[in-house]
Amino acid sequence: MADLSKAKQKLLIVGNGMAAGRFLDELIKRGISGFEVTVIGDERQGSYNRIMLSPVLAGETDVPAIIGKPSSWYRDQGIRFVSGVQVKAIERAQKCVLTTEGNRLRYDHLVLAVGSRPAKIPAENQQLDNIYSFRTLRDVDRLLNKARFHEMHGRKTDTDALVIGGGLLGLEAAYGLALKGLRVTLVHRSGWLLNRQLDPIAAGYLKRALEAKNIEFMLSDEVARFTGTHELKAAEFKSGKHLSCKLCVIATGITPNKELGLAAGLKGERGVAVNAFMATSDESISALGECVEFKGDTFGLVEPIWQQCTTLAERLCNNIKLPFENNPVPTKLKVSGVNLFSAGEFLTTDEHRELVYQDDKAGIYRKLLLRDNRIVGAVLIGDARDGQDYFSMLTEKKDVTEIAPFLLMGRAFYQTNEQPDSSDETEAA
Amino acid sequence: MNLPEKLIASDTVNTTCCYCGVGCGVTAAVADNQVVAVAGDNQHPANKGRLCIKGSSLHETQSSPDRLLSPMLHGKPVDWDTALDYGAAKFRDIIEQHGPDAVAFYLSGQLLTEDYYVANKLMKGFVGTANIDTNSRLCMASAVVAHKRAFGSDAVPGCYEDLEQTDVLIMVGSNTAYAHPVVYQRIAKAKEERPDMKIVVLDPRRTATCEIADIHLPLRPGTDAYFFNGLLTYLADHNGIDQDFVDTHTNGFDDSLAAARGQVPDITAAAHLCQLERADVEKVYQLFAQNDKVVTVFSQGVNQSSSGVDKGNALINCHLASGKIGKPGATPFSITGQPNAMGGREVGGLANQLAAHMGFDKPEDIHRVEQFWQAPNMARKEGLKAVDMFRAIEEGKIKAVWIMATNPAVTMPEAGRVRKALEKCDLVMVSDCIGNTDTAKLADLVLPATTWSEKHGTVTNSERCISLQKGFLNAPGEARHDWEIICQFAQKLGYGEHFSYSHQVDIFREHAALSGLDNNHSRGFNISALEEIDKKDYENFAPLRWPVTDQSPEGTDRLFTDGRFYTPDGRARFIPIEARLPVNTPAADQVILNTGRIRDQWHTMSRTGTAAKLLGHVDEPYIDIHPEDIERFGLIEGDLAVLANQGQRYFGRVKKSADQREGEVFVPMHWNGKYAASSCADALVNAVVDPICGQPEFKHSPVRISPFKQAWNGFLVCADDITPACEYWAKITLDGGYKFRLADGECPDNWASWVKNQFPHIDDWVDVCDSGQQFFRAAGFTGGRLQVVFSAATDKTSAREMRWLEQQLGQEIDANTRFAILAGIPGGGVEDEGAMVCSCYQVGQNTIAKAIKGGCASVEALGEKLKCGTNCGSCIPELKALLR
Repeated sequence: MADLSKAKQKLLIVGNGMAAGRFLDELIKRGISGFEVTVIGDERQGSYNRIMLSPVLAGETDVPAIIGKPSSWYRDQGIRFVSGVQVKAIERAQKCVLTTEGNRLRYDHLVLAVGSRPAKIPAENQQLDNIYSFRTLRDVDRLLNKARFHEMHGRKTDTDALVIGGGLLGLEAAYGLALKGLRVTLVHRSGWLLNRQLDPIAAGYLKRALEAKNIEFMLSDEVARFTGTHELKAAEFKSGKHLSCKLCVIATGITPNKELGLAAGLKGERGVAVNAFMATSDESISALGECVEFKGDTFGLVEPIWQQCTTLAERLCNNIKLPFENNPVPTKLKVSGVNLFSAGEFLTTDEHRELVYQDDKAGIYRKLLLRDNRIVGAVLIGDARDGQDYFSMLTEKKDVTEIAPFLLMGRAFYQTNEQPDSSDETEAA
Repeated sequence: MNLPEKLIASDTVNTTCCYCGVGCGVTAAVADNQVVAVAGDNQHPANKGRLCIKGSSLHETQSSPDRLLSPMLHGKPVDWDTALDYGAAKFRDIIEQHGPDAVAFYLSGQLLTEDYYVANKLMKGFVGTANIDTNSRLCMASAVVAHKRAFGSDAVPGCYEDLEQTDVLIMVGSNTAYAHPVVYQRIAKAKEERPDMKIVVLDPRRTATCEIADIHLPLRPGTDAYFFNGLLTYLADHNGIDQDFVDTHTNGFDDSLAAARGQVPDITAAAHLCQLERADVEKVYQLFAQNDKVVTVFSQGVNQSSSGVDKGNALINCHLASGKIGKPGATPFSITGQPNAMGGREVGGLANQLAAHMGFDKPEDIHRVEQFWQAPNMARKEGLKAVDMFRAIEEGKIKAVWIMATNPAVTMPEAGRVRKALEKCDLVMVSDCIGNTDTAKLADLVLPATTWSEKHGTVTNSERCISLQKGFLNAPGEARHDWEIICQFAQKLGYGEHFSYSHQVDIFREHAALSGLDNNHSRGFNISALEEIDKKDYENFAPLRWPVTDQSPEGTDRLFTDGRFYTPDGRARFIPIEARLPVNTPAADQVILNTGRIRDQWHTMSRTGTAAKLLGHVDEPYIDIHPEDIERFGLIEGDLAVLANQGQRYFGRVKKSADQREGEVFVPMHWNGKYAASSCADALVNAVVDPICGQPEFKHSPVRISPFKQAWNGFLVCADDITPACEYWAKITLDGGYKFRLADGECPDNWASWVKNQFPHIDDWVDVCDSGQQFFRAAGFTGGRLQVVFSAATDKTSAREMRWLEQQLGQEIDANTRFAILAGIPGGGVEDEGAMVCSCYQVGQNTIAKAIKGGCASVEALGEKLKCGTNCGSCIPELKALLR
């Protein structure tokens, strides 16, 4: 633990992704005069909003708009920013890190925010050109170039782009490419899209909505191998199907970058293990973001990570122990015109009471799962309003017995209905 | 009354209302062969400009979706010749093989006098049977015989003015407020102008009529004759007898008094027998004895009884004994149910009458009519009265029946049995304007008849007033007038030359001529002064009360003013009465079923049921029941209960009502298979009849009552008329569609498919399912317009109705509003106006309650603020109740 009473403590942050960016904000909010802060990042840019990569790909926003912290920002804050540099090892005994360039940087306290990398798939020939992941601005840049090139040459093959992975990221990538005018096919290993967030019926509505946006789907299938000499020409699937394609995006999930920490002897399995205060097994080293493991869970969504940043900043700046809680987090999808919300449990079992609203024509499906008359899960597609409200009821464990028949119609109805005899109806109107 | 604007702007016609026996004059505005507005006829003596809610909605019940447009033989349209050939051939065959008594006509007080006349003539003079009866049997038969026994003729002595001019008005078994609203309004106004006028209501129920009563006597059902026997004794003991009148103008007083005294010797006995407070009885007896001007109005509460004739005579005895008859403001007054019940009696349209107040009991009458008609096959004995007629059909003795303008499968006692009898009958012919009444559905041959505003002819109301029901619209499709159909049928039977009328006036003249033939004051009905009425005068017939003779060409307001009656010796007859209780008494686990009208419906709803406005007041079959009985039978107010009797069930919503006596329930008589799954009250009524007149005891049937154990309930609002696949449903007409209330003892496997299967043409659905089965909701659309809303729930709270929702039917609904449709409430939380009270101005109970809270302390104040009660006034009793 840093001793703030003496000289300035060297606080070294490895990684400059979204977690690091947010953590810096939390530190500055609390005052960093007691620290000498250094940030090392392997990307050239300052911290940017990775969530916005799909809108960038889709052309709905541009690169400058998503860069939260340009280089000048670090200067202005008196923070040393080391960009385009990767850390190779932590030398805990000496309290320093070794960069790939062979430099050593000392620290009094080290924060690992090294994030994650795209998960690998078992397909053969992944080394071919035009096979991308969808993780960084560089990925997006290359995809945009390829798409632009493609636009100039017109389309002749069955499909232009193959996207692998029917999770949030894969869907967003597919949507972005489709919006660029490419013919996109998305292949997904599971029988339905977003199988970690949606039930099969909701996924069916989603599929229909995306098909309307010119995306084709291959479900329950996987790429066995890519073919081509240098450049990607086609993909062969486990089902035996064959699809020619010019580019491929692999978005099958993420793998925590745990190696740096674990190689230094920090505890951990799926990621670098932390306790509720973001401390690793070494008291001089903390960790947060997608590289950590907390009680066996890893993280891929921003909400819990924001909380981790708060917890760690409180501890380092104020010595306040505010425990991090891994609460359920709602899922949203950033595809224009496709409203989706999922929180908590999403697969109906015999133990649930299930309330379902279906409007086939309008493409609206809303499902609430109740246990003991309390919401334990919400899946909304087509109309995701009220998602937050359901989510609050879920976290508050509100008894919804009385309002159950009106719940799915939205706030206006169940809130009106809660006080049917209220005298200020005119106000409501 | 101010005429609606439309009425001033368009062509207007004066006619007569087709509903109750009040017989109000109606001014109708006509445009493009449509009635566009109606108002009360200011000149008509019956209503002087007033109309009730049913009457003022006449233009809204014009176009029925079920209007019959062509003859239908075994469900297929055929031309008239084919239809009538078929019917006539069957009739001929059956008569040849089994004799004329194997065929029958069953008619209706809805028919016009001219229709009635030719039907009666055909059967009794040419077919050769008196098997012709009418639904007036269910309504007026007791009064007819009581009149004949006492006065020598079926004649109501007074007129409506007597009800206004009297000092004491006693209403017996008559809920005038609902059944004769305009007469009730006249009485209420008279009472307002002369608050000293006393009004007494004798009725086991505290009805809406009691709102204006000084005294209500909730007597034990069926004890009316005890009450009047007691009165006769009282009059004798308290100087209440007009000895001069008795001596000069009556016979048989002593025997009648002895019979009365023997049974009811004093007030205490009367109070005991009728289960009333002695002081109340005494008060009413005093009022009767001490006032010269007393009118006793009696209606179905007296008539629909196994001793209805005796009840009528018991009360007439009191009027004769005290000389309170034939004077302004002093008369017994039988008030009829139907628009032309009296007209039917005039032509002899009942099995025990002949024609023009002649009967089978006098051979000279039979001979006279035979001669007059030149009848080849004159009937010489009475035919079968309604209940016996349908029994004979059941037994196969009657093999062909022609039913006109009535719905016996709903209205007869043991209606379920009547239904089965008709199913078996060789030939069932039905003439009606509606093609799918419960009865028409059982018919082999259905003939399309004209209806109000198309048909043309005369009717006679309760006060002997003949008026013209005018035909001023062209009939749609193939519809024909009833008299034309009957005459064409007569022609097919080979009697064409005797039925070759070219116009209604020809029939009317013949009828008038017969009424005067050898009359010499022997028969009350005499309109001989009209036997040569010219066509123009007939077309502009001004209302007239019969007799209309050379001596009284302007008609006669009151009969017996000179103390002369229609008996051979000119004296009225006292009838000794041995009062009797109803035949069937309830077992320990039974209640007494009483049936009757509600305010806004008429008979089996085939007309009034098509107007949303008229279903606003009472929209569902119900059961009025005393709070103690609710406890006793484990019922819950607002839930469904089931009445059961003779294998039939009546479903109704439980209404807690301290207006009922304990052990007695009241249900409306109107619902039938077109409007509810199983809520036909008359199916439960015992077929017990008065031995003299054959009128059934509709007011007293023991039935079992139990709560309906529903697994789910709900409602369905839809544009199409369907028959929901559900144990209980009740249909409520809306503007632009229907609402069904639903309940069932079992949940369907899947509510979504349950509702969708019933609307196979709809494929755009939105629904909310609950795996917990607490509720289900769905809405269906065609072209974005709302066609169906269904809401089901296994508890009572979830399926809530809202008028807003009903108003969305047929509207284009955007995706967002679909949520509101399923919620059943508008997004902004608009206040619902609640149950309809004022049907005219569509003012609901919540709105009224709010106005009362806001300071409206009287009916007038409410009227000023909300207009409620200011048109037809039928809701005023309810407004008063809300104000209390």
